[in-house]
Amino acid sequence: MASADSRRMGNDGGGAGGAFQPYLDSLRQELQQRDPTLVSVVVALLAVLLTLVIWKFIRSRRSSQRAVLLVGLCDSGKTLLFVRLLTGLYRDTQTSITDSSALYRVNNSRGSNLTLIDLPGHESLRLQFLERFKASARAVVFVVDSAAFQREVKDVAEFLYQVLIDSMSLKNAPSFLIVCNKQDITMAKSAKLIQQQLEKELNTLRVTRSAAPSTLDSSSTAPAQLGKKGKEFEFSQLPLKVEFVECSAKGGRGDASSADIQDLEKWLAKIA
Amino acid sequence: MLDFFTIFSKGGLVLWCFQGVSDSCTGPVNALIRSVLLQERGGNNSFTHEALTLKYKLDNQFELVFVVGFQKILTLTYVDKLIDDVHRLFRDKYRTEIQQQSALSLLNGTFDFQNDFLRLLREAEESSKVRAPTTMKKFEDSEKAKKPVRSMIETRGEKPKEKAKNKKNKGAKKEVKFLLTGFDVPLTASKTAPAEKSVGADNGVELSKEELIRRKREEFIQKHGKAADKSSKSSKSDAPKEKGKKAPRVWELGGCANKEDLDYSAPTTNGAPEIAPPEDINLIRGTGPGGQLQDLDCSSSDDEGAAQNPTKPSAAKGTLGGMFGMLKGLVGSKSLSREDMESVLDKMRDHLIAKNVAADIAVQLCESVANKLEGKVMGTFSTVTSTVKQALQESLVQILQPQRPVDMLRDIMDAQRRQRPYVVTFCGVNGVGKSTNLAKISFWLLENGYSVLIAACDTFRAGAVEQLRTHTRRLSALHPPESHGGRTMVQLFEKGYGKDAAGIAMEAIAFARNQGFDVVLVDTAGRMQDNAPLMTALAKLITVNTPDLVLFVGEALVGNEAVDQLVKFNRALADHSMAQTPRLIDGIVLTKFDTIDDKVGAAISMTYITSKPIVFVGTGQTYCDLRSLNAKAVVAALMKA
Repeated sequence: MASADSRRMGNDGGGAGGAFQPYLDSLRQELQQRDPTLVSVVVALLAVLLTLVIWKFIRSRRSSQRAVLLVGLCDSGKTLLFVRLLTGLYRDTQTSITDSSALYRVNNSRGSNLTLIDLPGHESLRLQFLERFKASARAVVFVVDSAAFQREVKDVAEFLYQVLIDSMSLKNAPSFLIVCNKQDITMAKSAKLIQQQLEKELNTLRVTRSAAPSTLDSSSTAPAQLGKKGKEFEFSQLPLKVEFVECSAKGGRGDASSADIQDLEKWLAKIA
Repeated sequence: MLDFFTIFSKGGLVLWCFQGVSDSCTGPVNALIRSVLLQERGGNNSFTHEALTLKYKLDNQFELVFVVGFQKILTLTYVDKLIDDVHRLFRDKYRTEIQQQSALSLLNGTFDFQNDFLRLLREAEESSKVRAPTTMKKFEDSEKAKKPVRSMIETRGEKPKEKAKNKKNKGAKKEVKFLLTGFDVPLTASKTAPAEKSVGADNGVELSKEELIRRKREEFIQKHGKAADKSSKSSKSDAPKEKGKKAPRVWELGGCANKEDLDYSAPTTNGAPEIAPPEDINLIRGTGPGGQLQDLDCSSSDDEGAAQNPTKPSAAKGTLGGMFGMLKGLVGSKSLSREDMESVLDKMRDHLIAKNVAADIAVQLCESVANKLEGKVMGTFSTVTSTVKQALQESLVQILQPQRPVDMLRDIMDAQRRQRPYVVTFCGVNGVGKSTNLAKISFWLLENGYSVLIAACDTFRAGAVEQLRTHTRRLSALHPPESHGGRTMVQLFEKGYGKDAAGIAMEAIAFARNQGFDVVLVDTAGRMQDNAPLMTALAKLITVNTPDLVLFVGEALVGNEAVDQLVKFNRALADHSMAQTPRLIDGIVLTKFDTIDDKVGAAISMTYITSKPIVFVGTGQTYCDLRSLNAKAVVAALMKA
């Protein structure tokens, strides 16, 4: 191989010009002298570069986005939903202070795995944890307390606005599912009603949020606009996929019964 | 006697629960979590909620929380020890389940802890009952019965000495008696740990008991002897005094009070003053350039230099030990203990105080961070300093985002729908920038298309009404009625000086409702937090008019004073309110933020005390200098070295 190279170089060198000839000759001699080591070094470098590129490619595909985040206000039932999805049992829960994560086996034909991450809903913690985990989110499940929705609609909308804005700024926007939990309570609102109310509320929120005074360090990024400017806000205007389902983590007949989370499981199977 | 005992993971799963009463324990525990753990007040480990006292313990290594609740009126002494024992037993028994990262192991594991817990509870209750109550002495046993009656008869003359002697004897004897009786009890106690400790102490004290007696005897003899000398001396000095009459007192260094001697005035020539010698003029002028004022140099480099020098020698001393410590810390997983964290926490506390955080708050914060990190296992390649700094940063961000951020425009829209004006009251001490920031906020509202009525309820300060009138004029010029369809966008409502502020506010709100203004901004007079009648007046204004938003205006330059101001303002509002839930401060406006470079600690102090968010930040004196708070930027500036 080396000799073929040198012959080719010799032919080219002859055409290039006499000035380069002695230079090329010396180079050729050097190459021929240090032949085996130089070539092997070059090959090794190429191999390492190739492995790095392939590894990075695989990593960016595999580990980055297998996480499903469970977010929502405080007391909306995230931790119980988390427990139900993983084991199907009922457990008492308290206000979460940190996140919990576990591997969830989706019951579809491929049997793929998802990492379920349950984030705390308390106001002082939720944005911090969202920051930490949003990069690895493949899907976001936003849990809404359907029974207390009428009272909390502004808080729900404000947090949902924040989550949507954060997700839209990500490279691969995650899919969204808004779960209307606590359907076992008689006064629970339906998913349709919740969707309409949220759309109305987000419509006003995007106006007030963009009119708020700028932050201290006056970062140049303007707040992203949700939906289309002139028209009323609708979830279909977003570049993300947003769906609504109803479920009840507690179950119809108290603690002992099974939860009514089939819709949620089906959706998880779909996006896995 | 316990109401409940729960063990749950920090992620929210209840692992085991013991309920002594039928009430559910979730309510109080949630209240505990929200008010203590999440607000970084985790310094001491007990908390009262309605009728219950809750004591808790955090296990940071396995992310568990142990909470026990009992009635507030009971004082149970064994609770702390019980929690520690339960913690240890639980941890050892279920180590495999709680050690894993995934939550599945916690969910699948069964924590059958009932029997162990009942056993521990029984032991704890018994150990607290061991000490038998001391029986009272009978009269025959006491000292008084042993003394003869003759010694207690008082006779004149010899009385004082005798009494003193008796008193000393009695005192020494009583002390000996007390020591003896005090240690009778633990000798009969069982072999539990505190008993062992007390026996050890018993031995130590017994040795010194004889010493004590000896020392007391020596003292008494000395004092007795001295008393004899003193009495003789006093009798000696009394004697000559009685003989002579009173002689005038002569001071050794005192001068004689002659008028001529005291006259130091130089002779003046017809009252004309002397000419000062030429050197004085140069001194007076100084060595700088004459008329020009120099620019203020940024002296931060000098401060840094001064700060670096004292730290350098300590750094040099600690390098060798520090290197070994670092190597030890790099390899393997080490769990954090208080001693490890103490030096780092001290440094962080001083750093926070240097950044203008109030001193008690810095102390409480560091306590809470230590509580959160104790026993935590650090990963490889992380030092104690970095872990502590990370935890402190997280808790600071947590403090700055206490609850739902106040969205004024959203609430104004709600009020508009209900056809009543949105009332905002500004309160604070003197000179913090209430009127200036009121003008800035009204400019912002005008830009967003809302009409504003400014109520001048500062009827005390000279020029307050004129200041607001000037602002109104300028804002009107910026937003004339013609450009808003003939509607006056901004107007001043004032009734002059010296009137009652609450009355003016009420009239202003009624006027706004009639004329259809969207927002009423009420400016009050600045008042010191210690001034009780003025605080009463402010509380009355707020109670009577029930504004939608009560904003406390505080300057960012304030240091430890911020704590005092906010506590007293809140207390005044709470004390004078008739309602069930009193209206307290709803939000904070932090002003003069451009005057502090990165000493932003006042933001932390204020939000920590009130747990209310900072709604606006004022960064200057023009209308556009209004910002909202960016928690991450503030914390970054705070943690920057």
